[in-house]
Amino acid sequence: MPIVELTHVTKSFGPVKAVEDVSFSLEKGELFGLLGPNGAGKTTSLRVMLDIFKPDGGSVAVLGGVMTEAKKDRIGYMPEERGLYQDIPLERCLAYLGALKGMRPADVKRRAEAYLERFDLAAYKNKKVKELSKGMQQKAQVIATLLHQPELLIVDEPFSGLDPLNTQMVKDLLVEQHEQGVTIILCSHQMHQVEELCERIVLIDHGKVMLYGGLIEIRRQFSGNAVLVRSPVELPILPGVERVEPVNGTVKLHLAQGTDPQAILQALVARKLPVEQFEIAMPTLDEIFIRVVQSTPRVQGQERAA
Amino acid sequence: MSKLWQVALQEYRRHVFTRRFIFGLLSVPLVIILLVGLIFLIIAMDINTTPIGYVDHSGLLSDPVPAPRPSAPDRPVAMIPFASETDAQSALDAGRIQAYYVLPADYRTSGLLRVVHINEIKAPASQQFYNFLGANLLKGTDSAIAARLVKGADVTVQSADGTRSLSSNGWFSFVFPMIAGIGFIIAMFTSGGYLMQAVVEEKENRTMEVILTSVSPNQFMAGKIVGDTCVGLTQILAWLLLIIIPILVERNAVPFLQAIQISTQTLVVLVCIMLPSFVLVAALMAAIGATVTEAREGQQMTGLISLPIWIPYMLIGLLMSSPNSSLSLALSMIPLTAPVTMLVRDGLTILPDWQIALGSAIQILCAVAAIWLAGRAFRLGMLRYGKRLSLHELFAHSM
Repeated sequence: MPIVELTHVTKSFGPVKAVEDVSFSLEKGELFGLLGPNGAGKTTSLRVMLDIFKPDGGSVAVLGGVMTEAKKDRIGYMPEERGLYQDIPLERCLAYLGALKGMRPADVKRRAEAYLERFDLAAYKNKKVKELSKGMQQKAQVIATLLHQPELLIVDEPFSGLDPLNTQMVKDLLVEQHEQGVTIILCSHQMHQVEELCERIVLIDHGKVMLYGGLIEIRRQFSGNAVLVRSPVELPILPGVERVEPVNGTVKLHLAQGTDPQAILQALVARKLPVEQFEIAMPTLDEIFIRVVQSTPRVQGQERAA
Repeated sequence: MSKLWQVALQEYRRHVFTRRFIFGLLSVPLVIILLVGLIFLIIAMDINTTPIGYVDHSGLLSDPVPAPRPSAPDRPVAMIPFASETDAQSALDAGRIQAYYVLPADYRTSGLLRVVHINEIKAPASQQFYNFLGANLLKGTDSAIAARLVKGADVTVQSADGTRSLSSNGWFSFVFPMIAGIGFIIAMFTSGGYLMQAVVEEKENRTMEVILTSVSPNQFMAGKIVGDTCVGLTQILAWLLLIIIPILVERNAVPFLQAIQISTQTLVVLVCIMLPSFVLVAALMAAIGATVTEAREGQQMTGLISLPIWIPYMLIGLLMSSPNSSLSLALSMIPLTAPVTMLVRDGLTILPDWQIALGSAIQILCAVAAIWLAGRAFRLGMLRYGKRLSLHELFAHSM
């Protein structure tokens, strides 16, 4: 049974359709990527999922059914724009947010201390949140999201504002949560991070689902007919190759329609050419993203909520 | 602890344990102390203990009984007899007396006398001379009757069932509701202001989005209203303690403090009318906070609430002259004008039970409706960053 399932969800704000017929689902323990350009409808989809907004149409099932107040305690949500009380000490802020998730004060204290140590924030626990740097506040927000050990973790741009060291720390934490069986929805613009962490993705643009499925299948779908070859010698013109393009020390051979990559490999071997690398050229998620988004016609004069 | 109480506790702690709150808490009693001090200073400036002279041609003061001792803060003034006006004038010119009175031979029948002074004689001193005259006019009368005559009439209005009464000498029973009304208004708008600002800030800094994934909008809003009502009540309680403790300590030393008594009716009005009014104002302030985009805009909109609350003070003359008129009754029932009108009327008349009950029921219903409205405004306006929620959307939108 899917742990989250959106079926034909539609949500409008006045004349603007923020989300239109969006459907996707994820299974327990998945690390799922939710992608899309600014104003695509990602955050609206998340807010509908979290019952902050009621959908105009379609249905949402979370943790096995409709959202309830009790289920909120099993979900950790980190919004894109951070939201912590600025004028109270960090420790008190975490205690309050933990208590709202139904945690006992002793548990909040114990877990908060462990996370504060891990994120090098222990020395700042008595400081007001507004006195912390942007990066520290970002880490504090991560702690607040994980404090109650959620079953479903929804993180919106978790790496923004973090230096490489802290980015790695958060990335490790997400992997660790994933290994512990936590279902994670990662909403991000940083395609390389999504590519590195997620197994399946959904790409939303103009409120509609543009891509949905396993990352490898999607990349294969967009791969076209080309191979990447690394060789210490210059490659001759091979039959079935239409164009040769140098790419970071390799050459990308664009194949004519109907040419099998295996035939190219056989041709290289038959000519006894040294081959250090041979692979089907698959586009990066960045390239796929740009290709999909640029192919979608823009609606002039409409600004999306979310 | 339920999430509603968690929100209420957080809201309470967030506002009460701050320098801003403590400063606000102490500033009102400090201003009152300063005002009282100023009043005492003005009274003290009017007190002149230089003796008063008199020339008695009527024989009334040939063997005078002493003047009754004035009540604090006034101090006794010596009354010195003079055989002739020439002697009295010499004493006045020499500054040994501040004025002298001349009682003509027919004073007992005419009641007319003459006063001579260089600088105008102040009221406390002249009052002491009149009390001196009164005591001597009543010389020989039974002392208890004389004391009552000097004290003057004390009309007490009593309800038909005898449970409540209002005395004309019980000045505090009139003054207290007026002061309490102002105290309540200050506390209402201080704590309501905190609430409105907190809601606007939570929208501005996006805390709301995190909170709403933990608690329902209605629970959140109700918790905030409970917390901020407690903030206001803490303020009032602290003020009361700061006022009551000195009164209790000084009660025996300062006679006028002995007139201070709070009637059961006043307490009933405070609990049944003021408390729901408090919640009503807090909920309306929260609703404003949920609809506006910044605190300054919200402060401008609070005028819509504060103006009706002050209306009874603007119409104080009408309320005082006719506390049971139709206007007074209507203002006692209208939600935002009711709290002050009821308190003012409480000091002036005996309020029928049905009026208190009806007024209270209206206030409670309106408070509940305001909480619902605040919850709705909050749900509709919570994630509208940078865009104000219109009245049309508030009442027409379904979400």
